[in-house]
Amino acid sequence: MDFFGSIIYGFQVTFQPINFLFCGVGVLVGTLVGVLPGIGPAGAMALLLPATFKFSPTSTIILLAGIYYGVQYGGSTTSILVKIPGEASSVMTCIDGHQMARQGRAGPALGIAAWGSFIAGTISNIGLMLVAIPLAHAALRLGPPEYFALMCTGLIIVTYLAQGSVLKAVMMGLVGIILGSIGLDLISGFPRFTFGINELTDGVGIVPLVMGLFGISEILENLEGSLEREVFKTRIKNLWPSLKDWMEAKWAIVRGSVIGFLLGVLPGGGAVISTFVSYAVEKKISKHPEKFGEGAIEGVAGPESANNAAAGSSLIPLLSLGIPPNPIMAIFFSALIIHGIQPGPLLIRQHPDLFWGLVASLYLGNGLLLVLNLPLIGIWIKVLEIPYKILFPMILLFCIIGVYSMNNLSFDLYVMLFFGVVGWLMRKFGYEGAPLILAFVLGPMLENALRQSLLISQGSFLIFVTRPISAIALGFAFLLLLTTLLPHFKKRRRQYDQFKE
Amino acid sequence: MKTLDQTSSLFWLLVSILVFAESLRIGIGTVQNPGMGFMTFGASGILGILSLVLFLQASVRKEDLRQKPLFAGTLWRRIFFVLLALTVYARVMPVLGYLISTFVLMTLLFGILEKKRIKFVPLYALVATLFTHLVFSKWLNCQFPHGLFGF
Repeated sequence: MDFFGSIIYGFQVTFQPINFLFCGVGVLVGTLVGVLPGIGPAGAMALLLPATFKFSPTSTIILLAGIYYGVQYGGSTTSILVKIPGEASSVMTCIDGHQMARQGRAGPALGIAAWGSFIAGTISNIGLMLVAIPLAHAALRLGPPEYFALMCTGLIIVTYLAQGSVLKAVMMGLVGIILGSIGLDLISGFPRFTFGINELTDGVGIVPLVMGLFGISEILENLEGSLEREVFKTRIKNLWPSLKDWMEAKWAIVRGSVIGFLLGVLPGGGAVISTFVSYAVEKKISKHPEKFGEGAIEGVAGPESANNAAAGSSLIPLLSLGIPPNPIMAIFFSALIIHGIQPGPLLIRQHPDLFWGLVASLYLGNGLLLVLNLPLIGIWIKVLEIPYKILFPMILLFCIIGVYSMNNLSFDLYVMLFFGVVGWLMRKFGYEGAPLILAFVLGPMLENALRQSLLISQGSFLIFVTRPISAIALGFAFLLLLTTLLPHFKKRRRQYDQFKE
Repeated sequence: MKTLDQTSSLFWLLVSILVFAESLRIGIGTVQNPGMGFMTFGASGILGILSLVLFLQASVRKEDLRQKPLFAGTLWRRIFFVLLALTVYARVMPVLGYLISTFVLMTLLFGILEKKRIKFVPLYALVATLFTHLVFSKWLNCQFPHGLFGF
């Protein structure tokens, strides 16, 4: 099938009633989750995953992609109107978006966020189609050493881009690898680290882990203090940005799309990081940087475009290499495995309906978000006004249902609660959950690749530096680690010089 | 943050020692033929070293006196109550069934923060329980436990 034939085939798959319905439900649920702080995209995906068991893998992936896209849209609403980011990827939108709302320009802020997301999402989809297939072909020539090196690089990028201490992020990555090794050994088939608990033979489930670390811990954190939040009361008008707004925002949208796309493809990159980079770039090259923080429309357009572009492009390493580049893609990865599909270079060839159906659904989802969400903005504002005392029990109940219905085991609820408390303490002590989750998913693959590589090389670690791709990837990772250590050494040197003087 | 980093680094050091010892017990194999404890042996070893680095870093750092205690102002009773309710729920749900146990749990959770309209709490709980049962059990075919009473 040629390229355009494949696209048409993809739309035929997407427009099947069940897939169309799942796409619509996905974007609506995603927007709702993005508006509400607490569940998060990973939690929402995990919640609906068990409900998809009787449907096809294509429908499931379309639903999950819709949620992921919708979350990026929904997060901007809370950022602009409440100055609370519904999701981490909307943090930067708070700065100028909320200022615009305070100046009576909530409409243009919401409008440009939606349009920027739509344009960036479309650009990202085109990139996905163009890059994923050649990359999958190239990936067929990769062996265990290359996979090991790429996964290591991904983990190091995640820790490098951690918002807090890099040292703590690396530690969390290692904890993730250890947690990922619980259960049956892939090669010998013997259980390890199960401590005699039968339920651990299959390992720790990703759903209770994610729900605990992100969902339950956030609820516990919210329960600590005051639960009041103020929704900025304003009449939302002029959702269609003016010509002046468009002129100011157009290049920010383009730059945000490119930055988001590139950072989304990188293992370890993702929507959150791209928004920070996009905002920094916009401020840096702006002729009026002093307006940033005071309601500059570029400060909304850039990050909102970047997070949607990254959401699309982060599917590339998953679908073509089989490597989830961030924790959300790790849920996608698990969903595919649960449905009996191995993500990797052969996925596009063996399951064209899934790949092209997903690509077409991204176009459809993008359009649906724009068509549905701007008129529904009043409903999302009403949702924001639901008191937390009503919301938090419901969020907890959804977490419980999502976790329980995976395996119908109460044990999974205990696991969720355990990691909920661990996640809450991690927040308190300044540890991040993202490197842990990614390492947890990559851990077994990483171990497999390492052991296979050592078997191939008969115990020589040189195999990782004598093969060009793995050498480049590991060299890049090493340089990244070095750049994190350099400032530390420079500071020590300065302290030593001062002491000598 | 100094004390917190010291405490947490010691915790992770302890974890790394336990995993390290267990990795040795289950067998790390050889470099030519790695065993099932090989990866965790390496990961726990590095974790242990990094924990020590963090501990030393925190020990030489000056304490920021302006920083308020981490758990100051935390509403312990509220958090403890929610965790206890969820733990008991996980235990009794297979016995009592989804409908009864969820109704009781939701009544407790809605009741924690509701001070004024306490009489509406059972109504909220009933609506939440029936709504989720309808959506997830009836429409989406999720399997919830029926319990002693068969529902």
